[in-house]
Formats: sequence, structure tokens, C-alpha cells
Amino acid sequence: MIESQRHSYHLVDPSPWPISGSLGALATTVGGVMYMHPFQGGATLLSLGLIFILYTMFVWWRDVLRESTLEGHHTKAVQLGPRYGSILFIVSEVMFLFAFFWASSHSSLAPTVEIGGIWPPKGIGVLDPWEIPFLNTPILPSSGAAVTWAHHAILAGKEKRAVYALVATVSLALVSTGFQGMEYYQAPPTISDSIYGSTFFLATGFHGFHVIIGTLFLIICGIRQYLGQMTKEHHVGFEAAAWYWHFVDVVRLFPFVSIYWWGGI
Amino acid sequence: MAEIELKTAPADFRFPTTNQTRHCFTRYIEYHRCVAAKGDEVGDCQKFAKYYRSLCPGEWVEKWNEQRESGTFPGPL
Repeated sequence: MIESQRHSYHLVDPSPWPISGSLGALATTVGGVMYMHPFQGGATLLSLGLIFILYTMFVWWRDVLRESTLEGHHTKAVQLGPRYGSILFIVSEVMFLFAFFWASSHSSLAPTVEIGGIWPPKGIGVLDPWEIPFLNTPILPSSGAAVTWAHHAILAGKEKRAVYALVATVSLALVSTGFQGMEYYQAPPTISDSIYGSTFFLATGFHGFHVIIGTLFLIICGIRQYLGQMTKEHHVGFEAAAWYWHFVDVVRLFPFVSIYWWGGI
Repeated sequence: MAEIELKTAPADFRFPTTNQTRHCFTRYIEYHRCVAAKGDEVGDCQKFAKYYRSLCPGEWVEKWNEQRESGTFPGPL
């Protein structure tokens, strides 16, 4: 096992998950294109592909947890991989969301004559930023504070408290997602309502999608913490979830200011 | 042969770039706002009319007139 190797790295056992993930991605992309054009079976292939990708994520990461927590392969050197990887992934997400904010600014700062040279365009039922958006804006940073509380609890070895803190974090996140879902349901504009609808729903929608992913990650961390799988020195998965969560809640401020507040005036 | 006076819309410092689309659109809106405020019997609004007719392509003016008639004109009249 690990005692018999004379280096501190992890040479992974052969695994089928990379190829299954690729096949899932192929099915998703081809199915997606088929769905959006008049081909039979597109929706089925798209859903199958997505389910396959989700399954691959589940089993792949389950294997990572087995190799690290149960088999002990994750030395300090090995931990650097997921650490740097998470940071780079978050950077790539920042760039992704930057693109959507650029699009929003492009359309809203100099509105074209085709939409009357004004923003928001005439007839769009803009949401009042001081209602649900303003309510959600402190909820997410509070859950960011709760995740910091959880981190401190883990570092101090107070395991039960860490579980409570994670429960608080996730509850706040779920509440804010619930409010956001309600707001989407009641909002007068739809995604097809001119460039306003497109930019508004893509920017806020992708942010919301990231909140849901972050929440799921935090739930898994909560479960692992409850099962005692994290120690005060070694909890890379938790740190990655916490970084991701802080990224999500900081990003929330940008749409609030630029899209909800400024974009509605 | 009488001197024919040729004039166009004056250069507007609000629209310094080559693309004068917004200039045309703004003059069109200004004319219609003037008419809504003062009525078109008074001659004050005619200067805006001359400006937008010099600047704007005919097809755009026709399209905007149709939009105004059907209530779908997107601009702030």
C-alpha cells in the first residue's frame, strides 16, 4: 500500500469514469443539438447524457473520497492537486460569469435604437430591486459567514459545532434559492422579452445554478463532517466548498448592483 | 437661376462619431415630443422635422411611423 511506495504521490488505479464522463458529454452535446433542431429523439439523448454525466460525477468523486479518507493516499503533496485545481476552476467560473456581465453591460449601457434607445426597454415590467433581490442579498453573505464559522469549528476540532454551522449555511442557501425561485415564477418579463430578458435571465440564472451546485457541495461536506471524515488538518474538500461558496456570494453582489438596481432605473 | 439654399442638420456635439444613427433617432423623437407638447400648427417643431428628414433613411422613418401608429414604437415619445 502507501507504505511500500517510496514517493509521496498518488498513482491512481485504472478507472472507467473518465471514458464514461466523455461518453456522457458526447450524448449531452449531440442530444442538445438534436433537441434544438427538428430531429427525433433529441430530448431523450440529452436527458440520458445529463444523467450519465451526473452519475459519473457521483461515482468518480465517491472514488476520490474512498482513496483519500479510507485508503489514505492523499498526502500533503497530493492535496495540492485538488487545492490548485479548485482555485483554477473558480477562476474559470469567474471568467464565465464575466462574459455574461459584459453582455449585460454591452446591451444596457448604450441601448440601441431598435429598442428605443432606453433601458430598461419600454414595456418591461422591471422587478423592484428593494423587494426580493434586496432580501436575498444579505441572506447569501450570511450563509458565507456561517461557512466561515463552520471552518473555524473544524479547525478547532469542534466537530458537532461544525455540523450545526454547515446546517445553518445550507438552510440559508436553500431559503435564498426558494425566494429566488418564487421571484422567477412571478416575474413579469420572460427570457424571450428582448435583450433585457435574455441578459437578465442568463446572468441571474447561471448565478442561481452555481448557488445550487454550491449548496449540494456543502450538503455533501455536511454529511462527511457528520460521519467524521474530516480532521482539523485535512479537509481539502471542505475548503474547496467554502471557497466556491464565497465566490458565489461575492458574485451575487454584482448582479444586484448592476442588473437589479442600476438596470431597473 | 435662383440660388438654391442647401442645408442639412447641424453637427451636434452629442453625437461626435461617424455613426449618426442616434442623432437621427434623437431628432425624430424630439420632433414628436415637440408636437405632443406644442401641437404641429406652431412652426417651432418644423426645424426638428427638417433635421430628422435630412439625417434619417426613408425606410427607418416609414417603419417608425408605422410603429407609432400601431402603438409599438419603443422610444420615449
